[in-house]
Amino acid sequence: MSNAPHILVIDDEPQILRAMRTILSEKGFRVTTASRGEEGLALAATNEPDLVILDLGLPDMDGVEVCRRLRECTQTPILILSVRDSERDKVAALDMGADDYITKPFGIQELLARVRVSLRHSANRKGEQSKIVRAGQITIDLAWHIVKRGDEEIKLTGTEYKLLAYLASNHGRVLTHQSILSHVWGPADADHTEYLRVYTRQLRKKIESDPESPQFILTEPGIGYRFIADE
Amino acid sequence: MNHAKMQGPSFIAHFRKYLLPVVVIASTTAVFIVLRDALDTTLVALLYLIPLGMITAFWGLGPGIMSALITFLTFNYFFIVPYYTLTVHQPTDVVVLLVFLIVAVVISQLVARAQAGLAAATAREREATQLYELSTALVGSPNDHAIAQILAKQVHAVAGGEYVEINITGSQSFSFQLPEIGPPTRPPELVVPIEAARDALGEIRLWRGAPAISSSERRLLQTLASQGALALERARLAQAESRAQVLEESDQLKSAILSSVSHELRTPLSTIKAAASSLRSNDVSWDSTARPELIAAIDDEADHLNMLVGNLLDMSRIESGALKPKREWNILPEIIGSVFIRMKHLTEEHQIEIDAPESLPLVPVDYVQMEQVFTNLLSNSLKYAPTRTIIRICARVENDTLHVQVSNQGPQVPHEHLERIFDKFYRITAADRVTGTGLGLSICKGIIEAHGGRIWAKNVPDGFAFNFTLPLTWNGAMPPQIPMDTETE
Repeated sequence: MSNAPHILVIDDEPQILRAMRTILSEKGFRVTTASRGEEGLALAATNEPDLVILDLGLPDMDGVEVCRRLRECTQTPILILSVRDSERDKVAALDMGADDYITKPFGIQELLARVRVSLRHSANRKGEQSKIVRAGQITIDLAWHIVKRGDEEIKLTGTEYKLLAYLASNHGRVLTHQSILSHVWGPADADHTEYLRVYTRQLRKKIESDPESPQFILTEPGIGYRFIADE
Repeated sequence: MNHAKMQGPSFIAHFRKYLLPVVVIASTTAVFIVLRDALDTTLVALLYLIPLGMITAFWGLGPGIMSALITFLTFNYFFIVPYYTLTVHQPTDVVVLLVFLIVAVVISQLVARAQAGLAAATAREREATQLYELSTALVGSPNDHAIAQILAKQVHAVAGGEYVEINITGSQSFSFQLPEIGPPTRPPELVVPIEAARDALGEIRLWRGAPAISSSERRLLQTLASQGALALERARLAQAESRAQVLEESDQLKSAILSSVSHELRTPLSTIKAAASSLRSNDVSWDSTARPELIAAIDDEADHLNMLVGNLLDMSRIESGALKPKREWNILPEIIGSVFIRMKHLTEEHQIEIDAPESLPLVPVDYVQMEQVFTNLLSNSLKYAPTRTIIRICARVENDTLHVQVSNQGPQVPHEHLERIFDKFYRITAADRVTGTGLGLSICKGIIEAHGGRIWAKNVPDGFAFNFTLPLTWNGAMPPQIPMDTETE
């Protein structure tokens, strides 16, 4: 039982805390809760949780600030809870080091999927990262820089490959526009969202079976993109 | 120092009024002396009356009487025998002299009186014209500032002076000055209150050192002030009325919102409550087929509630002017595609056609807000169009504008509703038949207009269509060039 991943939930709504505790415990996680930012930071420092679920709208401090202070002392993945229409805050928290976000109200499947991805990425950071990412028919070999559909190699330009490789190596996780742009094009081009739009479209035409309803490269409106690979 | 300077011109004018008649009489006398032998004495007396009349007409009664006396002496001195003395030998000449003096004085007085009457008539006419101009200018004045400005200009035009100040009191006190440089340090020469029936609305302050303000000017300025008071009262009444109207309208809107919201929120809540409570009780057995259906109903209705709340938030943001698009250069088909995927489970009973050519340029829009526009237009079309009909999204470029049409084969909309369907809570059908907040289309309108575009609805041959335009330039800039790779890896 003590090997079960430990999740710290910071939210000021007692009903949300109650639901999260019930559901996550049911799924075999150990759950600690905090209803204020300071309390959450203290618990994160003493309990060393495997994942922090953090609501951005806390009464005592700004959620983005909690995120920043957490990142000062720990690499524990942070999953942001937030309402619709606060894209700016979500992006700020993600750029401040949060791993992913989920919009209230959310379905439990969605929450569990995010939790699993965040925990896996945290494990990958500590140990060996997988070199081959599979998504349906598509295989992306990150070591050999080869992308295949079935047995057939897909020809990508240099930028297209860099973009796909960055998305795929973070599969399951949302990546902000700024993070992708500065990683693929360089920090000087971090504001050129249009580069990303155009290249993503090209990339979808090469790897998606229906580029108009993509299955692998998903748009997160107002935030960024997410690559969905096989589990 | 200043005072003496201002007296200067009037003193010279006064001096001229008496000096010039003397010059005129002297020159006339000189002419008569030259012609003395040809002229009869009585004829000279008659001829003298001409310059005398003119002098009175030009310079007034004082110079006229003075000239009459001087002429009396010169006539005697130069034209009554013996010449160059003031003595009179013939008794007839005494009569001529006396008659001349009386006639000269009487003519001067008559001319002067006529002159004064004419001047008064001219002044009255000018006053009337100025009052007319003022009242015409004040008729269309919407607010206190405009009225003060017009009043100041008119006072300045009527009375001249160095400085005019109009002080307006009331809920917003302010003053308007003409010219805009600071007022003289001395107190104003004239202060006329602007008074309405019930209370003082302000005052006119006039600085004019010279000439001194006459009583007729004072009277005229008082008339201007009362015209100003009338205009101020009228403007304030009109403002109060329009405020009351706005309040009434916003009150009506609020109650419309409340009734719509309570109705719309209660419908999904009832479903959730009914489903959850029956699941909780032992009425539904664990293996019943009703079970997954009840659970699905709770899930769907929760999403519905979430959408309603989102719409209300969007609307309040549009109303308060807080909806600022976060523009970026976006690909329109990507936005349409992502809406299409999200709504896939709702569109299964219709055929959706997307006609957005690959050659469309990048559009400077807020991705999330444009998704909202397409979602609302599409869900509105889905609501009204019969199943198994085609809903078509078509995008074209016309000059530097993007033109998008979302058309369906649903029922046409009567002409009188076409304009109003973008109004809040406006419904063509009875509220109970079709669900929704009645906000979707007004949110679209708010978003499109915040992007500098236009949205309208029209009937098309086989149905009904929403149309909107969006500018393709952003702060005057065209879509940027994207650096492209040339070779593949």
